[in-house]
Amino acid sequence: MNPKWEFKLRTCASRLHVLLRRQDQPDDDFNSEVQQHLQMLTERYVAQGLSKEEAAAAARRQFGNTTLLQEDRRDLQIFPLLEELWHDLRYSLRTLWKARGFAAVSIATLALGIGAATAIFSVIDNVLLAPFPYQGAARMVFPRIHAAQEAQDEGRQGYTSTEVLEFAENNHVFDGITAAKEDLVLYKHGEGTEQLYGAHVTPGTFEFFGLPALHGRLAQPHDYAPGAPPVFVLRYKTWKERFNGDLSVLNKTFVLNGTARTLIGIMPPRFGWYDAEIYIPESLTRAAGLAAGSPEWFLVGRLRPGLSRQQAEADLTLVANRLAKIYPQAYPAHFTVQLRKLGESVIGRFEDTLYTVLAAVGLLLLIACSNVANLMLARATTREKEFALRTALGASRARLVRLLMVESLVLAMAGAALGMFIAWGGVKSLVAGMPQDLIPAETVIALNAPVLMFTLGVAALTPLIFGLLPALQSSRRDLTDPLRDSAKGVGGGFQGRWLRDAVVVGEVALSLTLLIGAGLLMRSFVALRKANLGLRADHVFETAVVLPAERYKKPEQVTGFFRPLLARLKALPGVVDAAESSTLPPYSFDTSKLEIAGKSHQDDWQTLLQTVSEQYFRTLRVELKRGRTFSEEEVNDARKVAVVNQTFVRRYLPSETPLGRRVRLGSLESADPRHDSWFEIIGVAGDVTNNGLQAPVEPEVWIPYTTAGSEGRVLLVRTAQDPSTMMEAVRKEVWAADSGVGLAYPSTLEDRLSKVLYAGPRFGLVLMAIFGCIGLFLVTVGVYSVLAYSTAQKTHEIGIRMALGAEDGEVLRMVVRTGLRLVLAGMAIGVAMSLVLGQLIGAQLKDVTAYDPPTLAATIVLLTMTAAIACWIPARKAARVDPMVALRYE
Amino acid sequence: MDTKKSEVLQGTLDLMILKTLHALGPLHGFGIARRIEQVSGDILQLNEGTVYTSLLRLQQQGCIAAEWGTSENNRKAKFYSLTRRGQKQLELETENWERISGVIGRVLRLEGER
Repeated sequence: MNPKWEFKLRTCASRLHVLLRRQDQPDDDFNSEVQQHLQMLTERYVAQGLSKEEAAAAARRQFGNTTLLQEDRRDLQIFPLLEELWHDLRYSLRTLWKARGFAAVSIATLALGIGAATAIFSVIDNVLLAPFPYQGAARMVFPRIHAAQEAQDEGRQGYTSTEVLEFAENNHVFDGITAAKEDLVLYKHGEGTEQLYGAHVTPGTFEFFGLPALHGRLAQPHDYAPGAPPVFVLRYKTWKERFNGDLSVLNKTFVLNGTARTLIGIMPPRFGWYDAEIYIPESLTRAAGLAAGSPEWFLVGRLRPGLSRQQAEADLTLVANRLAKIYPQAYPAHFTVQLRKLGESVIGRFEDTLYTVLAAVGLLLLIACSNVANLMLARATTREKEFALRTALGASRARLVRLLMVESLVLAMAGAALGMFIAWGGVKSLVAGMPQDLIPAETVIALNAPVLMFTLGVAALTPLIFGLLPALQSSRRDLTDPLRDSAKGVGGGFQGRWLRDAVVVGEVALSLTLLIGAGLLMRSFVALRKANLGLRADHVFETAVVLPAERYKKPEQVTGFFRPLLARLKALPGVVDAAESSTLPPYSFDTSKLEIAGKSHQDDWQTLLQTVSEQYFRTLRVELKRGRTFSEEEVNDARKVAVVNQTFVRRYLPSETPLGRRVRLGSLESADPRHDSWFEIIGVAGDVTNNGLQAPVEPEVWIPYTTAGSEGRVLLVRTAQDPSTMMEAVRKEVWAADSGVGLAYPSTLEDRLSKVLYAGPRFGLVLMAIFGCIGLFLVTVGVYSVLAYSTAQKTHEIGIRMALGAEDGEVLRMVVRTGLRLVLAGMAIGVAMSLVLGQLIGAQLKDVTAYDPPTLAATIVLLTMTAAIACWIPARKAARVDPMVALRYE
Repeated sequence: MDTKKSEVLQGTLDLMILKTLHALGPLHGFGIARRIEQVSGDILQLNEGTVYTSLLRLQQQGCIAAEWGTSENNRKAKFYSLTRRGQKQLELETENWERISGVIGRVLRLEGER
């Protein structure tokens, strides 16, 4: 190392050391040394025969000036710059406190900008940059068998155990591989049975993800072995929700799908692989012969570092090609293996939106900065004399700039501190309002260390954006300028003016666009809420019912369970109606091919199919349009009757009488020829939403549940009181009928609909509304700051006008006109922009067009009024200018 | 100012202190001042206070170390001693000084020969 540098470093370190020790001790040392030296010198002179006073004086002469010495010492021991900065800091705090209004507006503006940026950055950091807590998560991919003719994002993702083993053994690209398959686990406890969403996991899964168990232990190699004592691992969330975080459940035995399994470990909160509640270790076995087994395993591998996706895909395609030769029926003729990043399917949908929002937020931050810059310029004009005086007293330009920059930094830091609170609240409400499945289960959105660093960085950078230019400009004045007031009469002739105007125009346009977007989404949301679902969702309790497959194979067994249960439920106090069904609005999943007797057609006819009990229509209050619904006998006797919805009639039987027509439901066909799948239409019910809210209703057929078996059922109970209070009673009745029947997802219909249907639109609306409000606030500050600056510049001009007889009103109009001109220009651009952007959000809108006149009118009025107020304040100030004061220095 | 006395050149005081400590071993500030006074006779004009800023600077650079001790007349005094780094620094500076003074000497002689 260069010795010079080494000295500098050592000096710095030693100074820091002193600074940290608060410089008390060396001070004392130094003083006592100096005193002692003086004393010894004095003694020497006394010994030479001088008097005490003469000796002391001579000693001081020889020693030199002690005050100067002290100063030298201080300069040596501390950083003079630091001292001055500290001085600047105290000074700026004082001046900012005196200009509280300015400080408050600036800090609030910056806080909104920084806060919004921080909140969005924390979402991006957590969702896009580090969504998973797993080791090497960025290299985790899952393969997909993509047929050449398939659309871009399609392909088989499930593999047989044989395939998984082949991939695991013959690939050259993964340094780890694991697979999981779903298992709906019926968990029997003292009271009854509940369903858990389980995952079977292959050996090494927990090591693959690299998270240790929170309590207990992970599955060890021997736990996967066939014939090993059955064990399972629990997810944190499930442990908390189902077992109240009770540690005593560890090492207890639970009956899961009829097998007694020991709970060996509880995973940490962020472990959420496969979104499963429990993890069951299982070894893969190779299927013998040509039977490949069912493709039920989801495969995830971790790429070796440095491998590109293309290389890996090529390697895996080779493995798959070999498999395709052995199991030709499982592979398309032409295919490739595609790799997708873990979480990509979930996050991918969100990614573009997030980056767009980040760009918008960055823009907001820039606008906030330019607003504050304008405020500072306006303020600087009132501080001209202070600066002139400072310069006259010897302050260099650099010193002035430094002072102003420290002021800016104080504002930015205060803004950042406040912004952190805003971001904290913002992130909390974002997470609360976020629709389900928008982010992976493992992802936690919170303000963390990288986010804090980001905010600090932004806070440190923003003063350069909003503070440097004003500081340079206001320190440029020469000494005599303010005293001569020379340039004042020509006010507003700055080159920077067009830039400031453009910023205002831009932010008006931006916030109008945001506000119009928010307005449209709000109108659309209101329309959504008002939309007729075809049923009355209030006062309905629902729960999924899982019948153990081995005991409920035949329709009669299912009927034998439900018929008495529904009767008993109906008899419960507070229950109005009870029904059961195969699916629930707003989505039906079972589709069937359709034929109608007497109708011939070329194309495939499809219909949604739902099996229900006779009380279904009553319970959900579905309107009957024609004919009748099922009678009790029809259901009990499993008669082949059907109710169809209006859309069915409109699409397949227009201008015909539907009643009495016979329809054939292809999905119910079986090998048994006696089992015919022809049903007679006995009624037409109103359309019930069955394909979500935005999409039109699909044709649907309801048939008695006794005519077709299915193990997944839903119980629906209409109650007189709050439906959520019925949960216990319903559970008891179900388990009294059969304690081995599992219950899952108990909820009220309203709650679930709100989650499924409204959470997404509400989220978008809230996001837009928040940005719209921030935009509105920034516009207000922006218009105000530009006008405040230009009127401050023109004080002199206004003074002359008033001295020459201009009225208050004229001055007022002049200023307001200047401001509104900018606002109007911005609004014109904003309307144009929102018409273009409206096409983009058009797909999300319901019953509202992108150029909805009431929304446009309302937002324009709102913005104009806000802008008018922002103009009014500086205009009033200008109109109050006293000509005498304004002209005094002439 | 007395014209016969020369001001101590900037930076040379450090060198003198290092050399003093090198020659005499650990010393306190007063002792260093005495030694410089004694060696220089009446040629150098030294504000003895500046010895202490010099000592502080050298300490910060790690060239010398300080330790409290007792002086010959039984007073508590801070004794300064040369560190290894100071030793090296002294050699470097001495060499440097000799080179520069040599150059200056030659320049001055040049002037004289003309």
